[in-house]
Amino acid sequence: MDVGTEVREKGYTGWEGRLIQRRFKWSPIARTGIQLAFRKKRFKPLFAISFLPAFFFLVGIYVAERLEDFRAFFREANSFIAVDPGFFRAYYSNGSIILFILLVLAFAGSGLIADDLKNNSLQLYFSRPLRKKDYILGKLAVPAFFVSLLTFVPGLLFIIFKLIFSGSFRFITEYPWLPLAVVGQSVLYIGFFGLYTLSLSAASRNSRYVMVLVVLVYFFSEILSGILKLIFRSPYTGLFSLGGNLNQITAVFFSQKTPYAFSPVWSFLVLSILAVAGFIFLFRKIRGVEVIK
Amino acid sequence: MTNVIEARDLSKWYGNILGLNEISLDIGPGITGLLGPNGAGKSTFMKLITGLLKPSRGRISVLGGSPWNNPVLFSRLGFCPEIDSFYEDITGLEFLLGMIRLHGFPAAAARSKAMAALETVELAADRDRKIKGYSRGMRQRLKLAQTIIHDPEVYILDEPLTGLDPLGKRKMIKLIRSLGGSGKTILVSSHVLPEIEALTSLIVLIHQGKILARGHIHYIRDLIEKHPHQISVICDRPRHLAADFVGDANVSRISFGPSAGEVVFETGNRDQFYDRLGKSLVEKGIEVEEISSPDDNLQAVFEYLTGK
Amino acid sequence: MTKSSVGDWYRAAGRVFRFYFFLARRAVRTRLFVILGLVPVALAVIVRVVFAGKSGEVMAVFNDILITFFLQFYIVVLSLFYGTSICAEEIENKTLHYIATRPVSRSSVIAGKSAAYILLQTVMVITGLTVSYLIMNAPSLKTGGFFPLLLRSYAALFLGTAAYTAVYAFLGTVLKRSLIIGLIFGFGWENVIQYFPGSTQKLSVVHYLKSLLPYRPVAGGKLSFLLFRLEPTSPLASIATLIIVTAFFTVLACLVFSWKEYRFDE
Repeated sequence: MDVGTEVREKGYTGWEGRLIQRRFKWSPIARTGIQLAFRKKRFKPLFAISFLPAFFFLVGIYVAERLEDFRAFFREANSFIAVDPGFFRAYYSNGSIILFILLVLAFAGSGLIADDLKNNSLQLYFSRPLRKKDYILGKLAVPAFFVSLLTFVPGLLFIIFKLIFSGSFRFITEYPWLPLAVVGQSVLYIGFFGLYTLSLSAASRNSRYVMVLVVLVYFFSEILSGILKLIFRSPYTGLFSLGGNLNQITAVFFSQKTPYAFSPVWSFLVLSILAVAGFIFLFRKIRGVEVIK
Repeated sequence: MTNVIEARDLSKWYGNILGLNEISLDIGPGITGLLGPNGAGKSTFMKLITGLLKPSRGRISVLGGSPWNNPVLFSRLGFCPEIDSFYEDITGLEFLLGMIRLHGFPAAAARSKAMAALETVELAADRDRKIKGYSRGMRQRLKLAQTIIHDPEVYILDEPLTGLDPLGKRKMIKLIRSLGGSGKTILVSSHVLPEIEALTSLIVLIHQGKILARGHIHYIRDLIEKHPHQISVICDRPRHLAADFVGDANVSRISFGPSAGEVVFETGNRDQFYDRLGKSLVEKGIEVEEISSPDDNLQAVFEYLTGK
Repeated sequence: MTKSSVGDWYRAAGRVFRFYFFLARRAVRTRLFVILGLVPVALAVIVRVVFAGKSGEVMAVFNDILITFFLQFYIVVLSLFYGTSICAEEIENKTLHYIATRPVSRSSVIAGKSAAYILLQTVMVITGLTVSYLIMNAPSLKTGGFFPLLLRSYAALFLGTAAYTAVYAFLGTVLKRSLIIGLIFGFGWENVIQYFPGSTQKLSVVHYLKSLLPYRPVAGGKLSFLLFRLEPTSPLASIATLIIVTAFFTVLACLVFSWKEYRFDE
């Protein structure tokens, strides 16, 4: 190696390489423009929404394939699209809403505690004037936020838009307890799914594993309940299904017939026990000091 | 001297950020120190050498071949990464056995090599403990063990002394020096000048993706020598001490620092200044609390070289 | 590629296979997945006890449920986790540099790891299915009437595991958030697409798996269009498709992993 052959003197030095010729000289401009568009805050949701018309037209193609079936369906249109407490119950019990809640929580909530455990961050939290309660509340607020966006906000909007579109307050005078039911329902989902996500997140340091668990545990309970029903032919097998228990209480909130022929108090008990067990597990897992043998 | 590692006009972009800027460098057998502050481009350069990154421009050659997608090269190259990460649920011995078996060694030879590597880094007693139970220093030693286990010709060591206690550092320095002495090619990176000084006299200084200086350590020292040094003395009678040096030709500037009792001297000749300082303190009976050199570090060299 | 380099590639893949099979066996999560696979065994015991000496219809339906549990839930979950882990866990756990600086090609890493995880999953799946099937069909063990169906189930589950793992492995090499996309694919697309008419069903892996097994048609009615409708593909075509899907996505994953640069979020 040469001695003292190269010393860069003071000041800014830019890139001194050789520029290359591009075949399509406009391509970096195009690429940068597209990247910049996606960096704008509101662009991504707007871009996603802009595919809705195409999606609906795609659904139209499906409907066209099954026109006779849909004709039969719309003969009973009145009973399907009546906006009453049953409509709200149908929304909250809808499988796709639960699936989206699970996916959102899997994405946004799986690493809440798992990442802190993995990176030994709990020591950093508790070296501040924070108590376990503050930590748990702070973490719980994250799934609570997302679940409330999918439960409380739509429920409230349904009521508001029903009033606006109907042009009268008849709906709210007919069902004055409905807003409270929406609140109660949202609290149920927020509380249950919040603790569900956090306790699973505390179960492992691997947030990928937790992501799978968030979806797996829920669906497994559904399958288990179905299998047990086949074996025992008892409505009480519904107690093994997390979704079944949630639907049971949802029906009570909206004064509808419960899906299972047992008292909703049992469902409430099951969910409460699971929530308490989850909370205890979570509380014990969160420690400022970790001892590894 | 045959060059083991050759870089020509090597550049690497991360999106719009230039990580390495037209690096041309040859590295031969022996120990070469790669010195630079955090974010200078040391790890980027090492990842290019070890085929973990592709050059955006230019070329890199190790033992005559490009390291990207060249698995044959890795039987002759060992890499000690900076990142502290492992397969946590297995023991140290299992980890090393796994790594050495990937090289194609049969079971018996693999076990003997793994044990030898563990002995070298003084982890033999903890070989059956799970890695997640290892301390920071043990994890660092395990990283070194997986680097040396297959006895490669080229060692790329990214901050190998991080996390080691002073005794551990000494032992590791001794090991690296012995490897360098046996004709291996070793590239060691660090942001701590004394660590590099203890390992080698051949240094490459890197900053903001460019090579600032390269050569023997004493050349770097000469640069420091030409640049006036600051020496801070905290004592009970700073003004008395300052008065004694006003007429000294080696002292270019005297100022009083923010701390009570602090006087800061600027000198172009540190050795003579320290000589005079010691005598003055004794003669005048001045009680000294602290003597330090605020700019005798890599940061000062870089600030000097980059004009900040 | 010369003969010796092909041989080297296979040997390298073999070394990778051995290491990751060992690692996966030792992982704590593997134990949980094994327990999950043994749940049908417990249920089979309960069914045998509760329905001892009673009619065979529940048994037959339970056999179907078993298959559905393994086919549409268990192997999907396993291959989702293990398949996406092939690449993603090395990035997330920042252990990629260990395997990438060994004398094994990147494509052999994907191939070896895929093989290791497929074998592990197959063992877990077949163990659970075999034990629960044997319990369910204990009275007819001597006649062995259920063996053909059991063997068909093995084939379907193995091919399903391989195909799903290959798809998820490819997703893992290409996408950062491969697990969430995998969840949407496995629990969303694979379930929903079965309700679509005609050849649209063929855009799912589960269609070909179900085509390999006996199918009970669903009765019509007002809402029949909402119920599952299988227009099966021939078994031979289904097997060929599953093998092609496995090979195609594995090769793609190998190519992407060989070509792509992976950087840790630092």
